[in-house]
Amino acid sequence: MFFSSSRPSKTVALLLLTLMSASACSRSSAVLNNPSTHTRRMLDDAGREVFLPDRVDRVISLAPNLTEIVFAVGAGRRLVGDTTYCDYPIEAKTIEKVGDTQHPNLERIIALRPQVVLVSTASQLEVFTEQLRNHDIAVFITDPHDLEGVFRSIEQVGEIVGNAEQATALVSMLRGRAAAVDNALKQSPRIRTFYQLSAEPLYTAGHDSFVTDLLKRAGADSVTANVPGAWPKYSAESALAARPDAIILPTGGSMGEGNGTVAKALAASPAAKTGRVYKINDDHLVRPGPRAVDGLEEMARALHPEAFKR
Amino acid sequence: MTSSRQGNRNRVTLRRTLITLLVLLVALVIVVGAASLLGSERLPVSNSLCALTTLGTRQCGLTSDQFDILFQIRLPRILLAAAVGGSLATAGASYQALLRNPLAEPYLLGVSNGAAVGTMLALLFFGSLEWSRPLMAFAGALVATLAVYRLARGRVGATPERLILAGVIVTTFLSSVIVFVTTLMDATRIRSFTFWLLGDLSGANTSLLPVPIAVAIIGAIILTLNARSLNLLMLGERDAFDLGVEVGRVRMTIFLVASLLVGSSVAASGSVGYVGLVVPHLTRLSVGSDNRITIPSATIGGALFVIIADTIARTVIAPRELPVGAITALIGAPLFIYLLKRV
Repeated sequence: MFFSSSRPSKTVALLLLTLMSASACSRSSAVLNNPSTHTRRMLDDAGREVFLPDRVDRVISLAPNLTEIVFAVGAGRRLVGDTTYCDYPIEAKTIEKVGDTQHPNLERIIALRPQVVLVSTASQLEVFTEQLRNHDIAVFITDPHDLEGVFRSIEQVGEIVGNAEQATALVSMLRGRAAAVDNALKQSPRIRTFYQLSAEPLYTAGHDSFVTDLLKRAGADSVTANVPGAWPKYSAESALAARPDAIILPTGGSMGEGNGTVAKALAASPAAKTGRVYKINDDHLVRPGPRAVDGLEEMARALHPEAFKR
Repeated sequence: MTSSRQGNRNRVTLRRTLITLLVLLVALVIVVGAASLLGSERLPVSNSLCALTTLGTRQCGLTSDQFDILFQIRLPRILLAAAVGGSLATAGASYQALLRNPLAEPYLLGVSNGAAVGTMLALLFFGSLEWSRPLMAFAGALVATLAVYRLARGRVGATPERLILAGVIVTTFLSSVIVFVTTLMDATRIRSFTFWLLGDLSGANTSLLPVPIAVAIIGAIILTLNARSLNLLMLGERDAFDLGVEVGRVRMTIFLVASLLVGSSVAASGSVGYVGLVVPHLTRLSVGSDNRITIPSATIGGALFVIIADTIARTVIAPRELPVGAITALIGAPLFIYLLKRV
C-alpha cells in the first residue's frame, strides 16, 4: 500500500538485494520468536518483549553508557561492536566501530553477527529495529529516567549476558555509594541549582532526565526539575529570573573545553557572583552508566564541601 | 503587458509611499512594544512601558532582574528578529523583481544555504573570530547566488524554470555539504547546529548585534534607490537597457546587496525560511508592485512577520523554546498556498 507506484517498489527490491536479505523479508516474524533458539523473554524499557538465546556471546552496544555497562558487568570480551563515541574503558576504543549513536551502519552490524544489539532510548529508528529482527538479532532498548533506572539498566544487561550475579554485586556497591552521599547530606541545606548542558543555545536538564534525579540526590534543587522533556532548550529570561545559587557545568570529558563558561543570561546570577559555578566531568553526567555515581559524588562534594570534611 | 499600462499602474506618488511607510512604521513600533511585554517571564506592564519609553535610561520601578530581562534579553532579540526579517524580505522582493520570478527567494535560490555553509566554515576554521561569521556568510551567499545565476543562464537566457531548477540543485548540493560538515564536527556541537540551522534568535545579545541591524537598514535603502531600475527591468532586460538602465551594474548591485542581507541574517540566526517568499507577495497584494514602494514596505513587513513568529516561538511552550524557523514555516507555507490560490 505504502509503495503503490512501481518505482519505489523497485528501489525497495534493489535495496533488499544489495543487503542480500531477499529471503529475510519472506521470513515471518514467527521465526524470530522461534522457541528453540530464543528461549528467554525479557521486557525492555520501551515495554517491548525481547526474546533472547540462552547464551549470549556476541553483543553490540550503540551507546557509550551501554558499552560502559557491558564492561562493568564483566562482559567486555563479548562486545563485538560499539560506536565512535565509546571511549571508556580504554578497551572500548579498540572494539570494531559500527558508526555513531545517531547513524549506526546496518550492514556492518549484520556482518558482525551479534545476537543482541543494545540501544539507549527509544528514539533510535523503528525501521532499523525491524530489519535487525528479520536477521534474528534481538534489540534491547534502555531508557533510564533516574538513578534507579540506571541500576535497572545494569541489571538488565547483566541478565542478558548471563552475568546477573556480577551485575547485582555492582549495583549493590553503587547503591551503597549513593546511600553514603545521602547520609552525608542529611544535615545540609538544599541549594537552588541550574544545570547548564550548553550555553548557546541554552540547554538544561528537564523533568525526564536522570540528571535531575542525580541533582536531587546531590542536595540540589534543580530550578528546571519540572520542565517537560529530558534536555529542553530553555528560555534565557527564565534562567535569569530563576536566580540559581549554584550552576553545574558538565565539561572537560568528551566535551573538551566546551561549555566551560556560564551563559550570558546567568552572568549576574547569585551563583556566578559568589563563584558557586562547578565544572563536573560531562562523561559522568550525560552517560547513564556506572560512572553516573561518580557524577553524583562529584556534584555532592562540590555543592556541599562541608558535609564531606569528616 | 504594455508599457503604458505598466506606467499608469505604477505611477505612484511619493506621498503615497511615505504614507504607507509611516503606517507600517507605526505598526512596527506597536508590535515591538507588544512583543517586549510578552515572554516566558511576566513583567509588570506599566513599569515596562515606562522603561521602554525612556529607552532604558530609567528603571521605572522594575527590579534589576526585570530590567535585565527586558533590555539584555528580550529587546536585543526583538531587534535581531526585526533585522533578520527585514533583510530576508528585502532580499526576496529584490530577487523577485530582478529575476522576474515570483518564486525567487533566498532559501529556494540556495543563497541561505550558501550563507549557512560560509558560517559553518567560519566556525570550524576561525571559531574565535566572531567577525569571520558574517563575512564568510556573505561570501557563501554571493558564491551561491552567482552559481545559480550562471547555471540558470542558458543560450535563451535565464528562464524562470531554469532559475528555480538551478536554485533547487544548488540548495540540495549545499544541504549535503552542510550534512557532511556536521559529521566532521564533534557530537556536542551538533545539537546547537541543528537548532541553528532551523533558525534561532536566542543568541541575540552579542557585540555583533549592530551588524545585522545596520546591514538591514543600509541594504533596504540601497535597494530602494535601485527600485526604479528594477521596475524597468520587470519589462525585460532588453527593454530596460533600451530605456537607459545599466543592466549589468544594477544586477551586480542587487546580487551584492542581497547577498550581504542574507549573509548577515544567516550568520546571526541560521536559516529562517519563507520570509523572503511570503512577505514580498503579501506586500505586493496590499501596496502594488511598484518596487519603490514594495521594497521598503517588504522590509518593514518582514520585520513585523519575524518579530511575531519569534514571540510565538519563545512563549508558546515557555519556559522551553522553539526554533523561530519552525514557526515562520508553519505560518508561511499555508499562507503561501492561500496566496497562490487567490492569484
